[in-house]
Amino acid sequence: MASNKNKIILSIIFLIISLTFGCSRERKPIDDRCDYDGVKIEPLYGVYFILQDGTEKKFCSIVCASMSFLELKKKVKEVLVVDEVSGKKISASQAFFVGSEVVTVPHNKNRIHVFKNREDAMRHLEKFKGSWVQNPFQ
Amino acid sequence: MILNALSISMIFIGLLSCLLVIWGGTSSLILYRKWIKSSTQEERTFLEDRSYLVLLIMVIVLLIRLINWPLFYATLQSFIHDIEGAMCIFGVTQVKPGLTLFLEYLKPITFFLIGGWLILHVLDRATRTSPLMGRKLLLLSIISLFVLIDSMGDILLMIGIAPGTLVSCCTTVTDILNRPTRTTPESIFGPQYAQFLKILFFVTHLLLIGMVGLVLKYKTFEKTFSWRRGILGFFFLFALLNGIIFVLSQIEVFAPTMMHLPFHHCLYCLWQYVPDSIVMYLLFVLGTFSVGWGFTTDLFGRMGEASDLLPNYLRKIYWFAFFFLSASLLMLIIHLLVD
Repeated sequence: MASNKNKIILSIIFLIISLTFGCSRERKPIDDRCDYDGVKIEPLYGVYFILQDGTEKKFCSIVCASMSFLELKKKVKEVLVVDEVSGKKISASQAFFVGSEVVTVPHNKNRIHVFKNREDAMRHLEKFKGSWVQNPFQ
Repeated sequence: MILNALSISMIFIGLLSCLLVIWGGTSSLILYRKWIKSSTQEERTFLEDRSYLVLLIMVIVLLIRLINWPLFYATLQSFIHDIEGAMCIFGVTQVKPGLTLFLEYLKPITFFLIGGWLILHVLDRATRTSPLMGRKLLLLSIISLFVLIDSMGDILLMIGIAPGTLVSCCTTVTDILNRPTRTTPESIFGPQYAQFLKILFFVTHLLLIGMVGLVLKYKTFEKTFSWRRGILGFFFLFALLNGIIFVLSQIEVFAPTMMHLPFHHCLYCLWQYVPDSIVMYLLFVLGTFSVGWGFTTDLFGRMGEASDLLPNYLRKIYWFAFFFLSASLLMLIIHLLVD
């Protein structure tokens, strides 16, 4: 009987530990992290979806954003991308996309670059053996 | 080669394990051959005395190898910042994908074998006549081979991972639409596969806990001696099936929910973003393995004096299985409710 009691006490202690672990470690909000894979966003390569309900989804790269776009297409009101030269947010519909040998975000090997001006895009294209890429958010 | 406290520990443990298991494995095989040839009690007592040191050292080595499994992942985690493009352990595994994958499969098998052997050893130590000595020595020499391969793999991997290697990480593999963890259940359950997987996991997991609980409640270990092995074997197979469903449901349903990243399916990222999920996984692994250890203990431990002690040991093992599986389920439920 005594050993049974010990077992019950031990199990309750373990249970409390498990519960404490489960409840106490709530995930920290991911303000500057990609909504696709949780990676910290480098502002120069970020992509932002403005949804119909006014909320925003942010991504670390064109790769993550385009993968999410497949699922969120109906909810997205506007897509904002960042001009690599000025660092300013612009609408994806006005941007020029270039694929080149330069990797912007190593973990997903994103090679698509965003430019506001056609001249900047051309310069990058010629310098890094690039090619024109269609807007992935259409 | 990336040098830090963890990688040095891995190499040191690997080297030490290699040397000791070569000696221990060979010694146990020689002792086993002598054991089966021995006919008198005097000869057996002499061999028992000789095996004492081998067993003592091997128990310590095997206990260290048990810790090696979590240490392996902790070491890979510590490499993330040195590998370009790695955002979680997955990226590090891509530096030497073949070897790492091999070790990732080998380590749980070795862990299971070591755990099962240690239980058998404890059971044998509780007897006065050591009826399991022969089996123990034979199994030890087999396990030594697994440990040797595992240790050599660890050393090769630690030496082979070069800092600054450029890799792609999990996003490009675990999240693609034609990933096998999605296409396989989708082909069985249809487009609503995620919902089915979720329900299926809870059903199988609760069934497993329920079956183990019932066996404990009705003291089946003492009563159904003749077909006990069949029941325990079925439990083990069911626990393995539950393990497969657990992994699938974690990748496809629970991990994205717990991470708050609905389209991301990487379990390594889950461990990184929700660290207490490691405890949940540990509880699940120990629970599942305990079910298996119950079966292996019955399979190899039913001999001579050990047979009388077996029901009590089995009850303890399944009690642990019941507790670990319940605790991991509880943690998962709490997470889902909190999230």
